[in-house]
Amino acid sequence: MLEYLPLVILISLAAGLAVLVVILGHSFGPHRPTAKKGLPYESGMTPYGPGTRRMSVRYYLVAVLFILFDIEVVFFLPWAVMFRKLGVFGLVEMLIFIGILLVGYVYAWKKGALEWE
Amino acid sequence: MSLSDLLILLPQAFLLVWASLLLLVDLFISKERKVITAILGAAGLAITLGLTSGQWGSRATGFNQMVVVDNFSVFLSGLFTLAGLVAIVIAYDNMRRTGIHKTEFYSLLLFSVAGMMLMSAAADLIIVFLALELLSIPLYILAGLAVPRAGSAEGAIKYFLLGAFASGFVLYGTALIFGATQGTSLAGIMASIQSGTAELPLLVIGAALLLVGFSFKVAAVPFHMWTPDVYQGAPSPVTGFMSIGAKAAGFAALIRVFSLAFPSLAGQFAPIFAVLAGLTMVVGNVAAVSQVSIKRMLAYSSIAHAGYILMALVPLADPSVAANSTASALTYLVVYGITTLGAWAVISAVENADGGDTSVRDLSGLARQHPWLAAAMTFFMLSFTGIPPLAGFWGKFYLFRTAIEGGYTTLAIIGLLSSLVSAWYYLRVIVMMYFRESEAGASRAPSIQIAAILLALAVLVLGLFPSGLFQLALQALANGVS
Amino acid sequence: MILDQVIFLITAVVVLTAAILVVSVPKMIHAALWLILALAGIAVLFVLLQAPFFAVVQVIVYIGAIAVLVIFAVMLTRKAMQDDGPQLNRYSVLAAAVSLMLFAVLTGMLLSWDGANNLPVNPAVNPDTIVNLGESLTNPQGFLLPFEVASILLLAALVGAIYIGREHRAGKEEE
Repeated sequence: MLEYLPLVILISLAAGLAVLVVILGHSFGPHRPTAKKGLPYESGMTPYGPGTRRMSVRYYLVAVLFILFDIEVVFFLPWAVMFRKLGVFGLVEMLIFIGILLVGYVYAWKKGALEWE
Repeated sequence: MSLSDLLILLPQAFLLVWASLLLLVDLFISKERKVITAILGAAGLAITLGLTSGQWGSRATGFNQMVVVDNFSVFLSGLFTLAGLVAIVIAYDNMRRTGIHKTEFYSLLLFSVAGMMLMSAAADLIIVFLALELLSIPLYILAGLAVPRAGSAEGAIKYFLLGAFASGFVLYGTALIFGATQGTSLAGIMASIQSGTAELPLLVIGAALLLVGFSFKVAAVPFHMWTPDVYQGAPSPVTGFMSIGAKAAGFAALIRVFSLAFPSLAGQFAPIFAVLAGLTMVVGNVAAVSQVSIKRMLAYSSIAHAGYILMALVPLADPSVAANSTASALTYLVVYGITTLGAWAVISAVENADGGDTSVRDLSGLARQHPWLAAAMTFFMLSFTGIPPLAGFWGKFYLFRTAIEGGYTTLAIIGLLSSLVSAWYYLRVIVMMYFRESEAGASRAPSIQIAAILLALAVLVLGLFPSGLFQLALQALANGVS
Repeated sequence: MILDQVIFLITAVVVLTAAILVVSVPKMIHAALWLILALAGIAVLFVLLQAPFFAVVQVIVYIGAIAVLVIFAVMLTRKAMQDDGPQLNRYSVLAAAVSLMLFAVLTGMLLSWDGANNLPVNPAVNPDTIVNLGESLTNPQGFLLPFEVASILLLAALVGAIYIGREHRAGKEEE
């Protein structure tokens, strides 16, 4: 378990720093609210419309494609670690695996799932 | 990988490659020539049928005993590919007429058939799970093929959520069985039980969870709630395929797992199966009576038929009856498959062009407008009821006989009584078609008519010569299961 | 061992609390955020089980991708932030009874198993789990078949996601 200690320290440092900064800013910073300052931040533009409007279904499609290829990458990792030992045989198996996914990629491409408009 | 491993799974592998290529090829076929996709899809299934029937009589295991090819798997694979072929014939006309001719249908159907074939050959719980997913995921999407039609979307989402829930049960059960026997291969589980190293309580819970998962798939009461909505909402050809494909695959898994891996648990599970079968028969048939929509009526009817088949799994503990009862389950699956595909073919032809729901009333007067369709539908309804000399009668005859031989006379009587109830709603369809004023219009496409007539002929021929099918089913068990 | 147990207990409490909050908070977006905490806790459990690879997968796939997908899905709905309809429907009591019964039966049977009371302490685990995984995934005598079937599954899911996720303009394209 000790090998995870650096990870724990990193996570606690990151979380602690974030909390600390917020607390510091909140307690020492000047606090003079105006109507304009209270507006939601929208990259410097004047915000318009409700903040919780529905998003386009395209975001969802992109997220789904991301998951599927993400899982594919997860399968790559154990194979990549063993790449030299598995040799040509392992490469062929992986090519089959990728080939099947490639069919899906071509399908997604041709169907316009990768295009925004 | 030795080549023999791949040869064992050649039909499945071929179908998967074909389906993937079909997906690609379809992208380059122009919109007016989509009939090519349908023909290519059917060709793939036909070749697969040839490949799989070439394996009849042999028995081999492959991939470290994860899959087994025996007559049982070939028998069911044949059923699945034929059901897929019929579904394509029905779907082509119906989808064009209702304006949902989406060519993804063909690839997804092929994927699903491949999953079912893999299920029939599964000899390892991991493969059982993967096959279950491979056959289900395309079916979820096929159920939603008519999106944005509200019913189709509703059916798809319900099917998906409950299907995922059922998969969870199967997965949890598999994990517990792995814990109990330190293996997932069915042969290994059996060996572990026989040598007494298996942890019995864990194993029993695991097996029960598997049973729950599979019961969802075959739509047994009380895990049937999704069936009416999904059958009603999904496009009719898809429902037709689903009603036999998913059910037969579920039973394939049940028979494989419960007769191969857990024969010593069969005694403990007999009362559970008996209750499931009794409930399913009664609830399915009684609920079907009051349905207005013919799609919902057939959904409840499919639940009832799952109950009849479940009856065959009750006497597995008795070795003298086990083979006969499993064979009668297989026989019934074939008979039910032909009948249900035929009935859904007729519904696909009658369905309104807007693809909305079809009520029993929509069939009124069909006999005058479309005498062939009406005649075929009459055969299917009589076969569902179990009127001799049609195939459905013999299917029920074998099931009830083995139930009585196994000492479950009460169950057989419940089955008989609920069949009587079922006569009410099946015959109502016939009355509508022949004795009501004509309202019905239907597709005049020859393909769908020929399919319906051929299936009706099959119902008749199997009814006149029933022993051949039963002998085939017995042979299907001869070199593998039980 | 004591440290392990302390970590396990804390994680278990966090995961269970987060999971209960997922199904009980009224706003869906909050439920999605609680879900992330529950998933993170599962990653810690994988670490405790000495399965670091699965811990990483849990973080990458579940927290990194699925949580994002869930949040997108919530934002697709009409009332992402102001959904405050009733949490329970009329079957809630029945559902709770059935779930509790199932839980009691499963727990009871698991406790009656002697293995639950004398689990092996610190079983020997090969440290190179990822190497073993790589070997068995590509070995025909191992898990090659499930591996390749998994890729077919991904393909089917991909086709389905694209089909369902495309914008269908009701009836216009078809006619």
